[in-house]
Amino acid sequence: MAYVRVDRAVKFFPREDGSEMLVLDGVSFDAKEHGITCLLGPSGCGKSTLLNAIAGLEKLDQGEIEFRVPGSTLHPTSHIPDLPARSPKLGYVFQDPRLLNWKRVEDNLVFAFKGMKIPRESWQGRLEKYLSLVGLLSFRKQYPLYLSGGMRQRVGLARGLAIEPEILLMDEPFSKLDQLTARQLRQDTVDICARLGQTTMLVTHDVEEAAYMGDRVVIFSSRPAHILEVVDNPLEATERDLDDLAFIRFKKRLLQTVLKLVDQEGV
Amino acid sequence: MSSLDSITPAEPARQDQAIAVPTGAGSASLSTEVSFRRARSAAKRQTLRDVGLRVASVIALVSIWWLLSLFFPPSLVPKPWDTFAEVGVIVTSGNFFTEMGATLRRVLVGFGLAMIVSIPLGIFMGTLRSLESFFEPPVILGLTMPGLIWAVLAIMFFGLNETSAYAAVAVTIAPMLAISIWQGTKSIDKDLIDMSKVFHASAWSKVVDVILPQLISHILAAIRYGLGLAWKVVVVVEMFGFSNGVGYQVVRGFNVFSMKAVLAWTITFLVVMIVIEFGLIGWLERSVTRWRPRVEAWRR
Ligand SMILES: Nc1ncnc2c1ncn2[C@@H]1O[C@H](COP(=O)(O)OP(=O)(O)O)[C@@H](O)[C@H]1O
Ligand SMILES: [Mg+2]
Repeated sequence: MAYVRVDRAVKFFPREDGSEMLVLDGVSFDAKEHGITCLLGPSGCGKSTLLNAIAGLEKLDQGEIEFRVPGSTLHPTSHIPDLPARSPKLGYVFQDPRLLNWKRVEDNLVFAFKGMKIPRESWQGRLEKYLSLVGLLSFRKQYPLYLSGGMRQRVGLARGLAIEPEILLMDEPFSKLDQLTARQLRQDTVDICARLGQTTMLVTHDVEEAAYMGDRVVIFSSRPAHILEVVDNPLEATERDLDDLAFIRFKKRLLQTVLKLVDQEGV
Repeated sequence: MSSLDSITPAEPARQDQAIAVPTGAGSASLSTEVSFRRARSAAKRQTLRDVGLRVASVIALVSIWWLLSLFFPPSLVPKPWDTFAEVGVIVTSGNFFTEMGATLRRVLVGFGLAMIVSIPLGIFMGTLRSLESFFEPPVILGLTMPGLIWAVLAIMFFGLNETSAYAAVAVTIAPMLAISIWQGTKSIDKDLIDMSKVFHASAWSKVVDVILPQLISHILAAIRYGLGLAWKVVVVVEMFGFSNGVGYQVVRGFNVFSMKAVLAWTITFLVVMIVIEFGLIGWLERSVTRWRPRVEAWRR
């Protein structure tokens, strides 16, 4: 039931010289309910800006973001008007890990648990589950600045997952990881999202990642961003295998679509 | 910008970390264990050397004093050991603790008052532009005002009592505290505030878990400088006609022209201040910045 709809989102940023720079130029799409929607586009096109708007950190200049979650909606267009309004439970894995460096790894997760009012009884279990998922259980008492960049990124990933949100936003969560770790974590993330059934939006500039993880792939143009095409993945999450022919065919098709669209745009 | 460049079909492996086995618990290998031990013993040797150098420096100072005492009468430059004996008398006679206690109390109360005003003021100045413009002139003015003048003003206004000592200390150091907290607040990482919003951190948690830890090193530096100023002001206030405190004792030595008493009180005072500044605050600093790796590696 949890879905996110982005409707004609427009966003300007002020430039140094005082003029306005158009970043989002009427972006519209529906995120796949209970699935992973990959936002695929060149860097600098406005993907992070859009995620920030969805998370409520940035205000759009025009357009809307509509949530519908079990229990109601942020938005007056609810079909379930009798239930009290509530914001969706939202998790965010940032492009830079944004950890509290003065807190131990596990306390960074606890910080999010407290804010999200997760019952204290389940903290321990979740710490163990999600820290071992990202391979950092033995580093739970360590301070972030003593970890490598990739390990810090994984702490951010664990924090976003561990609150078990209804809507999960992930901004290039694997781009700073080595190939092997990234591959493992992509698979684990797909599994977890399938199990928890949250609605996930994952920003990436990697076509293979989009093909592997996305139940839906939304292709962004370069800045000012608009949606070039929305492609649904013909393969179920369980059927995707990096070496499988069907998967490779889909990946190729996606890449060709991207290249063709980028060509037509004449960039 | 070429879009082909940024939409890559396969991502190249990044070199920023060793290949990690996602579920593995890394146990230190034998060779890292050995190199750890070697590094630790090297660090220990270096600490020993540093301590030795400091001891040598103190011995050099006392030697210079002794040399000077050979050329001057004891009423002008007393012998170091005579002075140290006087220190012993002061400390064992019991009046050291009441006098030092009075001075310390004045410093601490004045300091506390200054903190109560400056921490919120500095945070507001760092976050609200209008308050920044409004309070900038008085804070800058206050910073340039000599502590001695504050001491005179406080005594004229409050009379010769504890209040004037507290006020002089507080007013002297408050601008300096406010400035460093103001600057610290401006350098706070906005991304972390955004992060705390996303995870619905309470206002309390935003302050305690996100903002204060970023200010702590600014606050500690401010306390260091502030204490340095506070000692100076409080001694001046006490010299003006208080009937106790280290400043009063120094003036009493001056009145009977006992260089030995003046120096002995000065030395005891210095020792206490050094213990507080380097011992207590140094310890506080180390214990609140444990999360930060030390940047000692490049120093010789
Ligand atoms: N706070 C901001 N102020 C001004 N410009 C910004 C701000 N945040 C992002 N931008 C600009 O907006 C564009 C899109 O940024 P971003 O959303 O981070 O791109 P992406 O995540 O797709 O790489 C970039 O050109 C960037 O310089
Ligand atoms: Mg980005």
